[in-house]
This record gives sequence, C-alpha cells and structure tokens, in this order.
Amino acid sequence: MPAQPLPDFSTSVRLKYVKLGYQYLVNHFLTLLLIPMIATCVLELVRRGPEELISVYNSLDLDVIHILCSSFVIIFVLTVYYMSRPRPVYLVDYACFKPAPSCRVPFATFMEHTSMICEDPKSVQFQTRILERSGLGEETCLPPANHYIPPNPTMEAARAEAQLVIFSAIDDLIKKTGLQPKHIDILVVNCSLFSPTPSLSAMIVNKYKLRSNIKSFNLSGMGCSAGLLSIDLARDLLQVLPGSNALVISTEIITPNFYKGNRRDMLLPNCLFRMGAAAILLSNRRRDATRAKYRLLHVVRTHKGADDRAYRCVYQEEDSDGHCGISLSKDLMAIAGDALKSNITTIGPLVLPMSEQLLFFFTLVGRKLINPTLRPYIPDFKQAFEHFCIHAGGRAVIDELQKSLQLSAEHVEASRMTLHRFGNTSSSSLWYELNYIESKGRMKRGDRVWQIGFGSGFKCNSAVWKCLRTVKTPVDGPWAECIHRYPVDIPEIVKL
Amino acid sequence: MTVSVETRRSRVTVYAKSTAPSLTPVKPGKTHEFTALDHSMSRHSVHLVCYYRQAPTVTMTALKESLCDVLSYYPAMTGRLVKNEGDGCGEWMVKCNDAGVRMVDARADTTLDEFLATATDEEERQLAYWEDVGSDPYLWSPYCIQFTDFKDGSMAVGISCTHFHADPTCVAVFSRAWSETHRRALVTCPPFFHPWAFYPRKNPVPSSPHLSEKSTIPPPLHPPAMSSVTFAFSASSVRQCLADLQLSNLSPFDALASLLWLQISSYKSASLGTAQLTLAVDCRRRMSAPLPLGFYGNALHFFGVKADLSSGWSHIASELNRHVSGIKEDDVWSSVEWLHERSKEKAFQMYGPELTCIAWDNVPVYNAEFSPGAIPVYVGCRIGNVQGEGLVVIMAGAPGEGEEARTVIVTLPTDLTAQIYRDEAILKYGPKIMFSPNI
Repeated sequence: MPAQPLPDFSTSVRLKYVKLGYQYLVNHFLTLLLIPMIATCVLELVRRGPEELISVYNSLDLDVIHILCSSFVIIFVLTVYYMSRPRPVYLVDYACFKPAPSCRVPFATFMEHTSMICEDPKSVQFQTRILERSGLGEETCLPPANHYIPPNPTMEAARAEAQLVIFSAIDDLIKKTGLQPKHIDILVVNCSLFSPTPSLSAMIVNKYKLRSNIKSFNLSGMGCSAGLLSIDLARDLLQVLPGSNALVISTEIITPNFYKGNRRDMLLPNCLFRMGAAAILLSNRRRDATRAKYRLLHVVRTHKGADDRAYRCVYQEEDSDGHCGISLSKDLMAIAGDALKSNITTIGPLVLPMSEQLLFFFTLVGRKLINPTLRPYIPDFKQAFEHFCIHAGGRAVIDELQKSLQLSAEHVEASRMTLHRFGNTSSSSLWYELNYIESKGRMKRGDRVWQIGFGSGFKCNSAVWKCLRTVKTPVDGPWAECIHRYPVDIPEIVKL
Repeated sequence: MTVSVETRRSRVTVYAKSTAPSLTPVKPGKTHEFTALDHSMSRHSVHLVCYYRQAPTVTMTALKESLCDVLSYYPAMTGRLVKNEGDGCGEWMVKCNDAGVRMVDARADTTLDEFLATATDEEERQLAYWEDVGSDPYLWSPYCIQFTDFKDGSMAVGISCTHFHADPTCVAVFSRAWSETHRRALVTCPPFFHPWAFYPRKNPVPSSPHLSEKSTIPPPLHPPAMSSVTFAFSASSVRQCLADLQLSNLSPFDALASLLWLQISSYKSASLGTAQLTLAVDCRRRMSAPLPLGFYGNALHFFGVKADLSSGWSHIASELNRHVSGIKEDDVWSSVEWLHERSKEKAFQMYGPELTCIAWDNVPVYNAEFSPGAIPVYVGCRIGNVQGEGLVVIMAGAPGEGEEARTVIVTLPTDLTAQIYRDEAILKYGPKIMFSPNI
C-alpha cells in the first residue's frame, strides 16, 4: 500500500519542533555561548601548563599596591552592587478564613429571602437569573447579619464580622508560622467598603497588643484589587526597613453593603459577594529565606482612572430611592480587557522568556513597517508561569481572561473552583486560589505564580511569586475538608 | 355570650426572623413523598414548646449551630412543598431543595418560673411562632423554630410545623435528636424516611366508618373562638383518680380522658346519654412490622369510642380502656387504605368538629437534654386549627412530679374553657392550672 501523503498534522508537528528548537536556542542563548567559551579557555589553560601560567603572571609585574587597589575596586563595586539591589521580599506563609458551614447560603434560601425582602418581582427574577449563571456553589457563606429577614446591617454587626474573619485568619497564621504579635513591624489592612473609626488596623493592634512603634496602614475604598496594592505597599516599606516583617490583611466586609433597592446594575454585588479574609506574612529577613514559601518577584500596577469610562465603571452611589449601592456598568468586561492589556504590556518584558519577546517584537515591527494586516502576536504566558490566580470576580471575568490569555481549563481551575466554593470574596480571593493550587499538590519548588486582580478605579494589578519550597499535601487551610471533592463540573445554568 | 375581658399586654416580643441551613448541602434532585395519613392531616399544625433553665451551653447561638448540624439528617425538613408533576397525580410532595427552616428570635420580659406560673394561653401560643402558608408554598417554610430568652437566662424552644410533615411524636423525636447533636452524643432515634410504610396492602380493604362520617360533616359557618387551659396532674393526683375509679388495669390515660370527657359533656348539655369521642393513638409500635420511633411522618390512628355517659365515670373509663387496648392492626390498615382512596380529594378536619382526644402519654417527651443532665423544666404541645367541640391532649408530665404525672391540655370553645377550669370534679384532684385564657 503506497504511503499516503501525510495531512496537515505532520506540518504542525514539524512546526512544533521548530518552535521548541527556537525557544531553547533563544532562551538559553547566553548558556550556549558561554559553554564553548569556557571550554576553550579551560583547554587553553590545560594546554599551556602551570609553568607558562606562572611566567605570564610574573611578566605582568604586579606589586602589592596594584593588587590592593584592584581588590579594593572589585570589593567596592561588589558592595555597591549588593547594597543597591532591592531587598528580597519573602512570603513566609499565609492563612485564609474558613467560614462556619452554618453561615452557608444555599441558592434556595437566597432566593426565598430575596422574594420576601424585595417588593419588585422583576428584581427577584433578575437576581434568580444572575445566580443561575453565576458559577457559585451551594456552600458560599454570608455573615450572620445577612441571614436575617430583612438583613440587619448595624455597625456592631459589621465590626463583629470584621473581628470574626480577621482574627480567625490571623490566629491561623500565628499557629502556622509561630509568629509573635509583638515582633510585627508593619501592618497593612485593606478593606474597601467598611472603614470605621478607629480603623480595622487599630482593631488588630488592640486585639493582639502590637508594639507602639508599629507602622500600620489601613487602605479603604480601593476595590477588589486592593490585596495586591497592600502587598506592594508592604514591599516598598520592607525596602526601607531592614530585617523586618509585615502582616498584610486582605478582606471585604459584607454586612454594611447589602443593597436594598431595585436597580439592576446594583444588584450583582448582593448575589456574588461573600465572606472571606486572608492574612499574609511578608519578611525581608535572611533567616526567613529558608522557611518562606514564596519570593515576590514583581508587582505591576495599572490604573486606568484617567479615562472617564473606566473611572465610572464600578461606581458607588445612591439610587433614586436613596438606597446606596455599587453600580457595575455594562462595559465592565471591555474596560477590564483594556486594563489587562496595559498590564500585560508592562509585565511582559519582565517575565516573558526572550523567545516570546523577540517574536512579539518582530511581529510588532512587521505590523508597523511591512504588513499592517499581520495578526498581532499574543505572547504565550504559559511559558512564563506555571500557575495563574485570576481574581474570582465572576464567571465572565474568568472566561474573558481564559480567552484572551489562551489558558487551558486547568490553568483557570483554581479561579473557577474558588468562585464555586467561596464566591467572590473580593481582595482575598487570590489567596483562596493559591491555597487551592497548594492543596491539590501542584505547587513545586521553582514554580512561578501570576496573581491578577481587578478592581474599581479601574485598576488591574499583578503580582508574580516564585515558589521556594515544594508545598506538601495535605495542606491545612479552607480547602482541607473539601479538596477531595474538587474539581467539580460547574454547569452553565443551574436551574433554580 | 360575650364576656368583656381586660387583655393584659403580652410579655413575649419577637424581634428577628432568619433561616437555618443544614450543615451539609442536600444532593440535588432529592424528594420526599407523603403518605395518605400525611395528606389527611394537612389542615392542622403541631407546636411543641420546651422550657430550659439557664445553662452555659444552652444559648441562642449554640442552639442555632447545633440546629444546622441536626438538619443535615433531615433533608425533608429543609425542603419545600411542590406539586408532584411526575406521575401525574398532582399531589403535594417535598422537594428537598436545601432551603432551610425558619428561625425566630424572641424575648420574654419575665423569668421562667414567673412565666410558667402566670402566663396566659395567648402568651404560651406566642412561644411557637407560626405563619400559615401564604400565596406561594414554594417560599414557605413548613417548619419554624422559635428561641425565646427569659430575663433570668432561661430559654424556651418552640418547634412549629405543619401536621402534613410530622405528628407530635415525630417533632418530639426531632427535638431529642437535636439535643443529642448539641451534646455531641450519638443520635439514638435517627430519622427513618419511608413513605411506603402506609402504602395499601396487596388486598386492600378500605373501610373507615368513623372517618367517612367525619368527612361528610360540613364545615361550620361561624366557627367559635377556641382557647386552651393546661392541667398538670401530679403522680399522687393521678393515683387518687385511679383509686377513686376502683377498677384495676386502668391506665392514667383512661382515668383522665374519661374524667374530662364526662365533665366537658356535662357542660355542653344538661342530660347525658350515649356520646362518641374520637381518639387519636400513635400506631408506630402497633403494626406487626413496627415502625421505628424515628419514623418521619404521621402515624396517628383516629377511631371513635361510644359510651353511655350516664353510666358513670368508671364505665366510661373501662370502655376507653377496652377500645384502646383492643385496636386491631386490620382496623389501622383499613382506615389507611380508605384515606389512600380519597387522597386526591381535599383534606377534611381531623381534629374536630366532634370532641377529640390524643393519647400521647406513652411517648417520652422530657428526654431532649441540651446540656447533660438538664432535661426540660416543662414541655407543652398544641395542635393548630382545632375546631368544633375541642381537643384534649394527654401527655407525659414533668419528671419531677412522678411517673404517673400527666399534663392535660384542653382546647375548647372559649366559654366552655372558662367553665372547665373551674370545674369542681377536676379541681378535686388538685391539678396545677397553667396557661389559662386571659380572663
């Protein structure tokens, strides 16, 4: 039987090998250059023999002054180099708040309460449709005050929720790391929608009896991406303060923000936002390098607030009945895509391997100079990172990012499963996703993680971490009891 | 005859309503079907109130947590009523959609002892919050649990549910399971969901002359207002009753039920003759394949007892004894099959219009210990939507009063209640009168 001409498959396989070869060549260019050079030098030295080397050395006519000056110059340059390097920032460990199952809000309960509280049947219908397509599961939790008919959002209840979620997370972190509260040097808390006086950071200082010279900060109003902003602030402070550690708390307090009105663009947060908090311990101490889990490589912040449309895209205001709510505009996804593109443009050169950058550069040059219709090259971020933590803002956000970054289902599994199990916990969702990846035993030493957060403003922030030690399962955390049930298949629409 | 009464302001205030989910999610698609007996009870509701002294583990928050825990075993309780479109019968069934049970928080402006001594019938009713099914049964919780805090830290737990789902025994067994879950002890009577327990036999003999008669009675045009009073008989008073009857082999139930029947009838009409009393008896253990105590659903058998009231108390008591001990399993099956035949028709009044009596004293109700060794101080049980001549509930008395102690809750038309709790023949035995109407 004559050999049939191979179909396109063969050409694509050949293309794949070409691509692989190109990547190895470009990414390891320096190594490929250096090895032959070193080999040549070594051979030359061996060939010449020790007597010839000594005679070459003597012919240089070096005396003590020369040697001292050259050593001094070398040591000076090395010292300047080491002193001007940024201090490494290590993530020693982190802990996430695990809500009690009695705070659980099954879909049926949520819809029943909504029907009883909301007078407008159209709003009830709208919220049912949102919940059906939300990607949330039956185990997401709301704070106790929101379980009442109607919800009871007093300041006392909000403080109680803050104390519950924050103190649980910090207690967990103290147990895991052996951290002594009086050794905390920097405290950064971010909680967008609840900002009492004294602040939440003062509440933590009071509860744990932190030192009087602690550098504490409370970031409020900065949206769902504020978690990475706090990390950035802590990192900057750790550059200035040697031998310190920083406790970063990311949370969102749901109690005071139940929307009582009927405007559709303001009803989404009611359906999606759930209780959650994360406590993260960062350090720049050398001795923490051995026990730290991750090292912070980059933080890239992109703020599109200069554009009016982006600024008004997530906007808190009062509706015509005087009820305060957060409105999400219809072009949220478009603006998010835009912000992401800006962020990628900045982070790309920092993290992408040279092969991808060159390809992108040549395609760009080709589009500008030769042929404008050439398809723009989307760099393959899967080569820069092993794990992706995309803010679980909603199913649409994850779908959009999966499409634009060309990620596989396994890459976005952490985000989807976090949305299913915990809902949208705002700034702390990235930490629940990281915990998912660890609980699944997928985090190995040397793996790089990309955390992407989106938030009001409109901001897109990224953080890149490198794993310093393989995380062994079972991992103690919010996923401990349910990780064996995941991943689950989340249907497009859950019929309510 | 209307009596103008000065109504005292109630000391019980309800201040919050919420919903308790079960701890573990229910698998989607689970349903619970009703038996013919369940369908027949749909016009009524059950209300059980347990009173507890102050204890460190018996707080509203802790009880709510353990409630969520025990609900994981009762998926039928957290479900909602839907019509069974499946096999075209269009009957009600429970879709176990994990919606949870309603919880109500309340406070009473008095101490527990003072409440038990001075509360009115109306105030006791307010300890078990209940809302009838509204316009949309799918949004209505068939169970409602009320937590009432007293001024001295004591607590009353009121469990209300529709009689459709459960009879008083079922509710009492649930409260026991809840208390065992709260104490982290083993649940001794786990729920047994088996709607086929009362499926008609292979050769059904549907016949219930008593129930057929009841179903044909038209509902009254102007049903009179009903009120209740509770008589707590101590063991010595019950022994005195039995001694006065001078008959052996009589149980406390026979003595008390016959006494009340006689006295109530004497107030209704001056001349006494042959009368009929409807008895409701729990038949879980009377079937040849006995149902476990944890059987979830209704298992009350209704039947009529005729006796000549003019023949005296002893005769009535012995007649009651004869009928109750002589219940045949065939009769139970026949009446179940009769109900099954007419299950598609609208349910009729089961408690009423004639005088009804529930023999519930053989079911232990004082075993819901939320904190070790702390049994309820008092347990009261009411039935909702009783009409006509009234209802007498005879249940076990407080353990401190002795083994033969009994609590008798009498629900009658208001003017009859006013007379019955001053009745000499009953007061002769020195029962403690509780929760009398507001007069």
